[in-house]
Amino acid sequence: MKRKAYPSLLVTIFLVLSLVLSACGGSSSDKVVKKEEASKFPKTTTNKKKAIKDGVLTYGLVSDTPFAGTLNTTFYDGQPDWEIIQWFDESLLGMNKDYEIDDSGAATYKLSKDKKTITIKIKKNVNWSDGKPVTAQDLEYKFLVIANKAYTGVRYDGTVQQIVGIQDYHDGKAKNISGIKVLNDKEVSITFKSATPTVLTGLNTTPLPKHYFKGVAIKDMAKSTQVRKAPIGFGPFKVKKIVPGESVELVRNDNYWRGKPKLKSVIIKVVSPKVIVSALKKGEIDVASVPVDQYPDLKTGKNYQILGSYDLAYSYIGFKLGKWDAKKGENIMNPKSKMNNKNLRQAMGLAINFKEIGDKLYNGLYEPANSLIPPSFPTWYDSSLPKAKQDVKKAKKLLDEAGYKDVNKDGIREDPKGKKLTITFSSMSGSKVAEPLANYYIQSWKKIGLNVKLLNGRLQEFNSFYDNIEKDDPKIDVYAAAWATGTDVDPSGLYGKTAQFDMTRWTNSENDKLLTEGLSPKAFDKNYRKSVYKKWQELMKEESPVIPTFFRYQTYAVNKRVKDWTIDPFTKFYKVSVTSNKSVK
Amino acid sequence: MLKFLLRRILIMIPQLFILSVLIFTLAKAMPGDALSGQLENAHADPKVIAEQRQKLGLDDPIQVQYIRWINHAIHGDLGMSYTHKIPVTDLIGERLWNTLLLAAATLIVSYAIAIPFGVASGRWTNSWLDKWVTCYTYFTYATPLFIFAILMMFLFSFELNLFPSGGSVDPQAVPGTLNYFISKFTHLVLPTLSGALLATSTTIQFLRNEVIDTKIQDFVATARSKGVPESKVYSRHILRNSFLPIAAFLGYDITGLIGGSVFVESIYSYPGLGQLFLDSIQQRDFTVVSALVMISGFAALLGTLLSDIILSAVDPRIRID
Repeated sequence: MKRKAYPSLLVTIFLVLSLVLSACGGSSSDKVVKKEEASKFPKTTTNKKKAIKDGVLTYGLVSDTPFAGTLNTTFYDGQPDWEIIQWFDESLLGMNKDYEIDDSGAATYKLSKDKKTITIKIKKNVNWSDGKPVTAQDLEYKFLVIANKAYTGVRYDGTVQQIVGIQDYHDGKAKNISGIKVLNDKEVSITFKSATPTVLTGLNTTPLPKHYFKGVAIKDMAKSTQVRKAPIGFGPFKVKKIVPGESVELVRNDNYWRGKPKLKSVIIKVVSPKVIVSALKKGEIDVASVPVDQYPDLKTGKNYQILGSYDLAYSYIGFKLGKWDAKKGENIMNPKSKMNNKNLRQAMGLAINFKEIGDKLYNGLYEPANSLIPPSFPTWYDSSLPKAKQDVKKAKKLLDEAGYKDVNKDGIREDPKGKKLTITFSSMSGSKVAEPLANYYIQSWKKIGLNVKLLNGRLQEFNSFYDNIEKDDPKIDVYAAAWATGTDVDPSGLYGKTAQFDMTRWTNSENDKLLTEGLSPKAFDKNYRKSVYKKWQELMKEESPVIPTFFRYQTYAVNKRVKDWTIDPFTKFYKVSVTSNKSVK
Repeated sequence: MLKFLLRRILIMIPQLFILSVLIFTLAKAMPGDALSGQLENAHADPKVIAEQRQKLGLDDPIQVQYIRWINHAIHGDLGMSYTHKIPVTDLIGERLWNTLLLAAATLIVSYAIAIPFGVASGRWTNSWLDKWVTCYTYFTYATPLFIFAILMMFLFSFELNLFPSGGSVDPQAVPGTLNYFISKFTHLVLPTLSGALLATSTTIQFLRNEVIDTKIQDFVATARSKGVPESKVYSRHILRNSFLPIAAFLGYDITGLIGGSVFVESIYSYPGLGQLFLDSIQQRDFTVVSALVMISGFAALLGTLLSDIILSAVDPRIRID
């Protein structure tokens, strides 16, 4: 499932509030926490006690705002809604640890010889929670809805657009999608224009119950009762009751295709990030994902276990190198741009002690990054690349070599032509650590003789930050941002000549070549694809159009009465049980 | 009176119009839109986002967008919320009852505390009671709501286990049953007290000062010298005059409460309008932001009108013809 920026907005709101709080109340999270061995977090609970029958679990939906209530995989648009949906609906195909589809789910798949066609076969006993079977037509229907002009969501993405005939359908020229064929009630084949391994990571196989949406116009679906008040799925639980924006009660789906779930019911409640740790300590909440800055408080609890894993995201520092040409649909690099010097960019990366920032500002839950593919993709991630490490001497040497010398002896380096060099840095406001972080960067750069100033002398609010960078504001030279990678490892949407999201506007023929190879039919061979992405990661390290700064840990607290909860990489909700009636306090 | 009312209502039309232009321009002047939230998602397709922008009419010139919006608004259609994907009227309707319930409860409790305390401490100035009440008002005046609300929650929910810590109702309560209403009530206690206890300070101080001021007026002395009993002096002569400023503020108070309390709602995970407003600004959900500001603008105009009516009812001197 794709993650949206929505959670980061929530975090932003929360952090603004917690800033106010900590300023007044002297919150304990201000204390410098000593380094945590973050990689040592377990991923599965260790509770060995005997499970009780028909237990009830309370799940904390950590959010500052009510959930939107678009409870359907086709229409939702935000993390809180997704956290609810995952209890009662799922994808047809399962996923392995590299987030590639496999046969562990409610359907199996076969690829054709030319790898252009995938045939999905739904297992026999898979039924919607209203008793009707999940059919091949339901999966076809999902694509018919998202590719329709009247559909209002964002699921009509790059992978979907690769399906044969979908463009004609989208433009209203065809009544059906010629590339999607229903073979029988349980089998459907989808043919793509070209063979790429993206089909293994980027294809969304959540069906939409056709019978259930009968008579609802596509434009009205997102607001329909079927989505908002009585959503259905074929997951381990079914929705019993929704209190809009604040809680959902789910009960066991006795006919779940994997078998009867152990828990009798689940209550999902919105809990403010400010009180989540107290609620966990009190045993009011059994399971919750806890924000980074609550971690020092979270650590002191004894009645729950802390699980943690790498988030599907990375933070980075980007350098502005050109412009987006909307007419051509291409990035145009400007050879004269201030940051168009590899040594300068590398030196700026070497100047900063990321380890110290991760330990002190992010409670050890942020680790220095070494690559643009996060370790949450164990197969593709190149762990051999050296981690971002401070090396002031080398940074200075690189600058000297490139001709950035302090000509007038004022302690600040001039550019190779001997002219005054002022670099403008744009950084986002919102988080509690935004200000110290930006200042720390600027000071670190000053130490290697670079004069860096904040854009307009202050931090930028989330929306204007991205607005300015997207529009290639000529004032910005350097910026700090982050990407949520989703479960598809392919980085071609973010880097390359035609990638509009490559906001550095950096272009490089080797990069384009490697990313194309990574998506070629040959790349179905994992070893080949791995070697391509290894080369790409090395190239990006060398060229440094962006410098990856941090990988993040996401932590979960799970009450000690909960059994078999795992985040490796997904929880199997039907297996989860509790070992006592009351939560451990 | 009727003429005065009519005039007041008529003048609200241009006021609302100017307000709508202002709101719309300011909302649109914010950088970004509902779709820029997609910008950290590596797999969102820029082309699809552009297509959505076009479909939502976000690329049209601002005056075109305004005319479309105001035209729909006049017909009762406030548009669709982008984030919530339902009509804004439904969305606000969903939250409005929670907010109104909380607002009404807060208002009632705060006046129920403020009026007796204010009057008593004004009547028996410098007594022990007065000193305690003054101390209480200073304390509540100085306490920030978001700290107080958390403190209340820790004490009464986490430590004493008396009330639930969040939400507006127990997820398992069945609507229509007695349990449901009890659950609604217990969920309302802490947010209400947090808001009400802090809201009392100004009202108490106002009342106290008014009572002290009125106490030494000539007409009170006259009443006393005529032998009117002390209790009647207070209930007939002093209180009626002291309530004037409070009455004038009542209209404004109602407006303020309709806007919702961002802090109380957020800390108690209570789905109301205040949170919705803050959230919509962050998300650039323009339709919701504009609708909410329009509503609270309308409520403000209505509130001042209400204040004037109340005032003219209790104080014949300022009745306008």
